[in-house]
Amino acid sequence: MTQTTEHTELRESVSLDRPWVTLVWDDPVNLMSYVAYVFRSYFGVTAKQAERLMLQVHNNGRAVVATGNRESMERHVEAMHGYGLMATLAKADE
Amino acid sequence: MSDQRFTRQLSGALLARFEPIEADLLRLATRQLADMLDAGAADVQLAASDGVFGRLLPDAYRDDDEAAAEFRRFTSVNLLERKAQNAQIVLGSLGADAGEADAGAPDSADRQPVTITLDADAVQAWLRSLTDLRLTLADRLQIAPDGVVHLDGDDTPFLRELYEWLGMLQEDLVHTIDV
Repeated sequence: MTQTTEHTELRESVSLDRPWVTLVWDDPVNLMSYVAYVFRSYFGVTAKQAERLMLQVHNNGRAVVATGNRESMERHVEAMHGYGLMATLAKADE
Repeated sequence: MSDQRFTRQLSGALLARFEPIEADLLRLATRQLADMLDAGAADVQLAASDGVFGRLLPDAYRDDDEAAAEFRRFTSVNLLERKAQNAQIVLGSLGADAGEADAGAPDSADRQPVTITLDADAVQAWLRSLTDLRLTLADRLQIAPDGVVHLDGDDTPFLRELYEWLGMLQEDLVHTIDV
């Protein structure tokens, strides 16, 4: 139990380096004000940060709104779908 | 737009004011949404095949069909049930349908504006349900990614007006709470 091989530690560090991300995609329906509100109220970011993320979605077609392990990103995506936003998760360096 | 649609009370609750015809319209549209969501929650195969459900429950993985299907299996019923609950909350706050109770009554000109109170939970349900309604209408209207309406039918002007009205309603609601 106590013996940890170097090999395992290496693999762990590799997996730590590649987190998952939650992406929100632009769509023609959702209002800019609503999307900013969702980011602010769900992710708890400031109004300014929420506005910046919303504009990223609007101008670039998508934005990374969260980073973490796969399970939390799936939870965020489900929550975003509850709000009616287009959201996906993917490996960070996709 | 002259009167404010939503006003915030000291308690944090919102007052929402609707003309009777607006309340009727919202009730009608929300009831259809609720029926559709119930049907989807009861029949996951239907929910997986129909276009509008594809937008209400989009793929969670863009490049991994298997993971997307797995995610859908674990989340779709729960999401549809919550969306249906939200629609029921909206219907509940709109109250009884006076128009239906007095079907055919000639006194429609006497009907007074409807004022309803929305607590914090109801506001969340309204925000989400208005979104689901607009997503559903956008699917019906065949709105392309660039926002252009492609549906060309007798229904188009009405559906489009409803879609835009719901958008204004939601914009008002967001601005009232997002201070």
